[in-house]
Amino acid sequence: MEGLNVLLKKLIRTASGRKRFVLAVIGLSVAMLLILAAVQIQADYNELLVSKSNQDSIANFLVVNKSLTDQNLGNTALSDSDINDLKNQAFVESIGLLSPSRFKASIQSNSDRFPFYTDIAFESVPDSFIDVAGKDWQWTENSPYIPLIVPNMFLDFYNFQFSFSQNLPQLTQQVVKMILFKVNIYGNNGMISLQGKVVGFSDRISSLLVPEEFMRWSNTRFGKDQHTKPSRVIIKTKDPGNPQLTKYLHSKQLVTDAEKTRFSRYRQVVDIVVSISWLSGAVMLAFALLVFTLFIQLTIASSKEEIGLLIILGASPYQLQKFLIRQFFPINLLIICISVIVISLLQFYTHGLLQSQGIFINAYPSIFTLFTAAILLMVIWWVNRVTIRSYINKVN
Amino acid sequence: MTITFQNLLPIPLKDRFLQRSSDIWNTTIQFEESAFIKIKAPSGTGKTTLIHILYRLRNDYEGAILFDSNLIKELKDFDLATIRQQKLSIVFQDLRLFPDLTARENIELKRILQDPYYPKEMIDSMAAELGVTHILEQRAGLCSYGEQQRIAIIRALIQPFSWLIMDEPFSHLDNENIQRAANLIDRECKKRGAGLIITDLEHDTHFSYSRELNL
Repeated sequence: MEGLNVLLKKLIRTASGRKRFVLAVIGLSVAMLLILAAVQIQADYNELLVSKSNQDSIANFLVVNKSLTDQNLGNTALSDSDINDLKNQAFVESIGLLSPSRFKASIQSNSDRFPFYTDIAFESVPDSFIDVAGKDWQWTENSPYIPLIVPNMFLDFYNFQFSFSQNLPQLTQQVVKMILFKVNIYGNNGMISLQGKVVGFSDRISSLLVPEEFMRWSNTRFGKDQHTKPSRVIIKTKDPGNPQLTKYLHSKQLVTDAEKTRFSRYRQVVDIVVSISWLSGAVMLAFALLVFTLFIQLTIASSKEEIGLLIILGASPYQLQKFLIRQFFPINLLIICISVIVISLLQFYTHGLLQSQGIFINAYPSIFTLFTAAILLMVIWWVNRVTIRSYINKVN
Repeated sequence: MTITFQNLLPIPLKDRFLQRSSDIWNTTIQFEESAFIKIKAPSGTGKTTLIHILYRLRNDYEGAILFDSNLIKELKDFDLATIRQQKLSIVFQDLRLFPDLTARENIELKRILQDPYYPKEMIDSMAAELGVTHILEQRAGLCSYGEQQRIAIIRALIQPFSWLIMDEPFSHLDNENIQRAANLIDRECKKRGAGLIITDLEHDTHFSYSRELNL
């Protein structure tokens, strides 16, 4: 077999049209890199969205309310159908109602040495939406104090502005958690005074949170209006950057923290980059395959007489096909291998680069990239085979 | 493998051949295995056409040719290749060597196109017998016609076959070389139990023919 190939190589000159061949090889390589890069970028981006290590506790929870305009002043409640509709959107994993307190309340220091007093309102959400809920986060009528979760923002506001203006000491989270204070609730039958304590700080929801049990109890006892609709909901979503989500909220005139959906802009950019890479890769692949096909045709045409005589002498078209595939296919295999290696190196390098910024992507190329490479290899093999077969038959 | 001709008539020459009688054209005739057939005809009476039809280089004919019971017109590419590798060997009148390959490479190609029938040393031994050892490493295109004829004969004998077809194979050889070539051919055919179909212009006694036909 080896000897036959040597002789066939002498007869079927693959050297003609070198320039076209180099062109085809370069085109194929670039196309391969673009397509594999597109797949890899998409895979990395998906990984960033779903992987645990990247999960940003703030970003995946969005508090949504109607955008307040002159027309809907005092009428910002969300109807059941609004909420159901939101619940049915693909990007919403779960949804929780924020219940506001419907009574007047204030908090006040227990100690005269460190006096403070402020009017206040609470909100509550289902526990599954709270990131800092621990064993302290429960309340019964017999509890010694009401646990509260405070937005970090409040403490920052106190420490870096308020304390200076009032000549008060700065407080760490730990100190704040130790302070017991009065919670005054004003109902129809006068005021009652309970104890309260901060048990956690969160960035997720920017209001003073109390356990749902307490909210139910207090609203029933002290609330003015028993059947108000909620006007804010919290949703959990896999990808707050999902452009669909932003679009939906906009169309329903709902708003959320714009900072949290900032990802949607990046996401659109990534989408565009990926599509451009895809598209140009696919176009280049098509052209490169065309040039490669032309090169095969040229080779066969320039050895037309030799191939004809070989067939007359009894070479089977299959033998010649096999020989020609062996001449043309290995370079394709090489191109794909090199492309995969380049993508792997880039991925490894990007992994290191992003790691130092606290973003974690896999150090190795994704299975989808390898899968795509295998499919491309099959496509190229098939194109090679079909071209060779049809041109040998033409000579025959 | 028997070869059967049934009312064979090449379309381009049809009118001419219908006018006269022939042992092959427009009649039915069968060549038995291992028969030595001499086909004699003057120039321009279709010897090469017959050979090309038999080797299935052309299909522009009426009637039929059968290898055993198979119509050769219906052979698939793959089967045709197998037949040319295993059953049917040929020396063309125009020889059809690859001019850019050496004489040895031309022979070697045919030897290894299928599972070799002979080891490669056989090329040297046959070349020695026909007196062409000195040109084995020379490009075939540079050899004289007589030398090329002998290379083509060796190329035909290096493969397995059950029929050897030769179209005026000795046209450029002197009597001594013809005798040597005929001896080699005779021996190789007998060794394989193969038949021989040879065309020529004149009567000859190179082989002990089982049939002599006029085209």
